[in-house]
Amino acid sequence: MSILPDNASGDLALALHQHYARNQRWGFIWAMWLAVLWGAWYVPGTALWYEHPYADIPADATTLRLAATAVMTWVHAIAVFLFLLLWNMVLGKVSDYGRTIVKFRQISKWYALASLCGGPLAIFGSCLAMFYAGPIFAAISSLLFPVVGAVIAKLWYNEKISSRAALGMAIIIGGGITIYAPGLFGEASSSHPHAWIGYLGGAMSAIGWGSEGAVAARGMDVSDPDVGIQCRFTFEVLFWGCLILPFIALFTTIPVGQLIYETLTNGKAILWILLAAVTHAFCYTSWYKATSLIGVSRCGGIGNLYAVFAILFISAFTLQIPEWYFLAGLSLTIAGSFVMFSEPAESVSQLREVTKAKAAV
Amino acid sequence: MKLHQKGFLLGQLSQGGSMWDHELVAMALSEYSLSGAHWVSTLRVALEELAAAGLVTRVAGKIDDGSHAGKGKVLFHYKLSEFGQSRLHDTGLLQEGK
Repeated sequence: MSILPDNASGDLALALHQHYARNQRWGFIWAMWLAVLWGAWYVPGTALWYEHPYADIPADATTLRLAATAVMTWVHAIAVFLFLLLWNMVLGKVSDYGRTIVKFRQISKWYALASLCGGPLAIFGSCLAMFYAGPIFAAISSLLFPVVGAVIAKLWYNEKISSRAALGMAIIIGGGITIYAPGLFGEASSSHPHAWIGYLGGAMSAIGWGSEGAVAARGMDVSDPDVGIQCRFTFEVLFWGCLILPFIALFTTIPVGQLIYETLTNGKAILWILLAAVTHAFCYTSWYKATSLIGVSRCGGIGNLYAVFAILFISAFTLQIPEWYFLAGLSLTIAGSFVMFSEPAESVSQLREVTKAKAAV
Repeated sequence: MKLHQKGFLLGQLSQGGSMWDHELVAMALSEYSLSGAHWVSTLRVALEELAAAGLVTRVAGKIDDGSHAGKGKVLFHYKLSEFGQSRLHDTGLLQEGK
């Protein structure tokens, strides 16, 4: 027997290195799946807006579009929940889900908070950014979510962020901005009334998704990631279905019930929702699994590759070749990923400065 | 109601001081009436996640001769860290685990 980690030698030292390298590789594989599936999600997520009843909503009917977003997000969250239930049935973790979600005050409250951050705050913020500042601005502001997540994880529970991980994250964000920024100039030249609301929405989306990663990681300290993600979507279904939609239906004249009925009775809309939901369910599963293995900051950095995959998937489905600067952004994001992955495998063996973290709630 | 699996693993380490992963896995398999390679692997991953998060620390290791997790794999001896102790306390698991 050898005491770890410093004085292991010979075969044990080699086996340990291989062990940590395997953990690191799996963490990055899950994070890469997060990016691929997030990018793929934009295809059904966008296509849904071309189906009845959403296609019939005028572009300038902002309030109605926001309410429609709430309706589709709720139906989508229910479908995600069902796919995650199936996933946990296959893994045999449904009992553990039950044992975890009932401990609201101790554990599942963190997933409830994560669902508020990633659901109403980030999605609503992203919609505001799209409507009031433009889709390119919305995409760029979302790219900053890993920075928010890393800062919260560092300040809250002292996640260790090596200079190489930070550099890799910065290069990937730079790559994402290279892909979208030229389009931003075109957007900025067109007049967007009340653009400040869009900027506020952009900040909400970055803060929402960034804080979701950090808050969910807090829940995963003492619970399983597969179970955690199902808890998170349980709360999202409840927030939209029991609070937000009833509030809109009761206090506005927006036909929420009709929107729900017409969504559920339109086969094409349901097909796109199911495709988006299966993508989203396993995108989130990958996110939470990767976070527990490589930490909030590294996972967010690699997850930002979604910017590349979104363009690739949309280009494949619309047969539109991306602009030349996409290649420059692609090169940067790939380079950033390699910088992050080139960290020593042992850097993921313990992700936090526990002597400092023990004081954090 | 039984504790969730990570809570159970933390509770055992809280009560037992320090333990080898295969001992913890055997206790969890017995607690939840589970068996098979899938569950051994799932519980070992849960311990890895607890170690990565700093709730438990690896105090020793040895190479498996094939009698526990698989020949050539590393077996770890874990103990609850001070951080893990405070997390157990924060989440109310300390009282329930005992």
